[in-house]
Amino acid sequence: MSRHRYTIRTTQDFPEKMKRRSEFMIMNRTAIMPRLLLVYVFVIITVVALPNQVHASESSFLDEIKDTQEKFDNRAVEKVRPVTRKTVLAKERYNGRHFRVLSRKNEINRFACSNCHTDKPVTVNEGAELTHANININHGKGEEALTCIDCHHSDDRNYLWDKKGEKIDYDHSYELCGQCHFRQKRDWLGGAHGKRVANWAGERVIYNCASCHDPHSPRFEKRYPATYSPPLDR
Amino acid sequence: MKSDKPSGRKGCSCTITSAKSDRRSFLKGLSIAAAAGSAALATGCIPDVNAATSEEMKLRWQEFFKDNYRLMTQEEKDATIARLERLAKLQDDLDIQMSNDPPIDRVLYGYAFNITRCEGFMECVSACVKENNLDRKTNTQYIRIFEMEPGNLDPSTGDGQYFHKVPVENKFYMGTQCFHCENAPCTKACPIKATWTEPDGIVVVDYDWCIGCRYCQAACPYYGRRFNWGKPEIPKEEVTTKQHYLGNRIRPKGKMEKCTFCIQRTRTGQLPACVEACPTGSRVFGNLLDPDSEIRFVLKHKKVFRMKEELGTEPKFWFFID
Repeated sequence: MSRHRYTIRTTQDFPEKMKRRSEFMIMNRTAIMPRLLLVYVFVIITVVALPNQVHASESSFLDEIKDTQEKFDNRAVEKVRPVTRKTVLAKERYNGRHFRVLSRKNEINRFACSNCHTDKPVTVNEGAELTHANININHGKGEEALTCIDCHHSDDRNYLWDKKGEKIDYDHSYELCGQCHFRQKRDWLGGAHGKRVANWAGERVIYNCASCHDPHSPRFEKRYPATYSPPLDR
Repeated sequence: MKSDKPSGRKGCSCTITSAKSDRRSFLKGLSIAAAAGSAALATGCIPDVNAATSEEMKLRWQEFFKDNYRLMTQEEKDATIARLERLAKLQDDLDIQMSNDPPIDRVLYGYAFNITRCEGFMECVSACVKENNLDRKTNTQYIRIFEMEPGNLDPSTGDGQYFHKVPVENKFYMGTQCFHCENAPCTKACPIKATWTEPDGIVVVDYDWCIGCRYCQAACPYYGRRFNWGKPEIPKEEVTTKQHYLGNRIRPKGKMEKCTFCIQRTRTGQLPACVEACPTGSRVFGNLLDPDSEIRFVLKHKKVFRMKEELGTEPKFWFFID
């Protein structure tokens, strides 16, 4: 494989085809009848034999990629620094391979929820905030709009639940999101949605759904871009 | 970075044009310049005899006669990065760590950009400028984001200079940069082979071998290359000190530069700065020769296209739709 790539790059970039073309012109200049037969044979060779070669050289780069099915060991890459953020092993796999996702629980300020959600009465000053009155749910439209207990477990506040009533851990919320957003989840598993954390190599660690999206208002808000671009032609 | 050092250090051309020079120092500078010849003056590389230390002169002398990076042995590569680290300390008082990490075996980098998901926040652009030590004075940027009308897929029809709240309804955003062509026209245009494709697919420039003719810039069909008209000006506290010889080290004046997929990061397994900065996950980067990689998933399962594919340049940068 590597030998092939090397030849693509370093040979002077006028391959067989061009050499043959110059040959062809020399023959035309001395166009006498016996030579014409040679030309004819040459044309036949060009038409029959060359297309294979041309095809091979034109699409070799992508073919080479598609033909590579040998597993690549990402952990064998030296100098990779491990991800420092807290992660958990995902409950799903991609192509039979385990991966990790960013933990969500340690991002929630007042986890565990059962600290407040007990049978005991709670007296507080910042009632509005502590009763979650600051949360605006903007998830789902019209009749499809979600309410708290569509995702939060109605009895055990330390967990979420899906539509079948199964408890879902906060760290594995992708199992909950994926029941509606199954296309996004499929892409997320493969890597077309979301992204890896810090490294392309090493152990696969990817962002959780709620690492980027606010689950109560998942669409990104409008804002000014981080910078601007100068005119193209200066 | 520039303001706190004596004005005479950079070279005669600077001495002449500096505001505080009186008649005597002007004539002195002029005589040195005349002795050295006008060609050397144009490059601005004659040191002021008073300012440059003998150590700096020695290092610059050795740097001047070094080889093309591809012809260097590993010892010579190590020696040159040691010299460049020391020179950065002497000239600009910067403590940098420069590497010459080689390509990783069985790795070919590829990149994909999701035009459905990008919302034009341009976090990637500012992260790139910061990571790659790009010139703040001329606002050099490797990445451009275009605000596009639906139905168009050619960035030249888009607005590359928007500055308003994004995303705008019924517009989409498309990012361009160096596409690291497998059949790169820029490397063929270079008359002195100062730019080439590395075995891991990254198109790089040897900044010390480049003569600044800009043929490669003319040859690139994607506007992927940038030219340093002056020495990059970066606030000292913003300089990225983790550098690579072929990557984000501060370019000398009059050299070509371009996106290197953040070679200083990717060769240690990190993602490029633009991918790490993207808040929407529109940017996918990975090893094309790994069948389980994210980029291979995109190529296999998504509708992808490349810019100006008909030119046969084989970019390793795909745009895709969700």
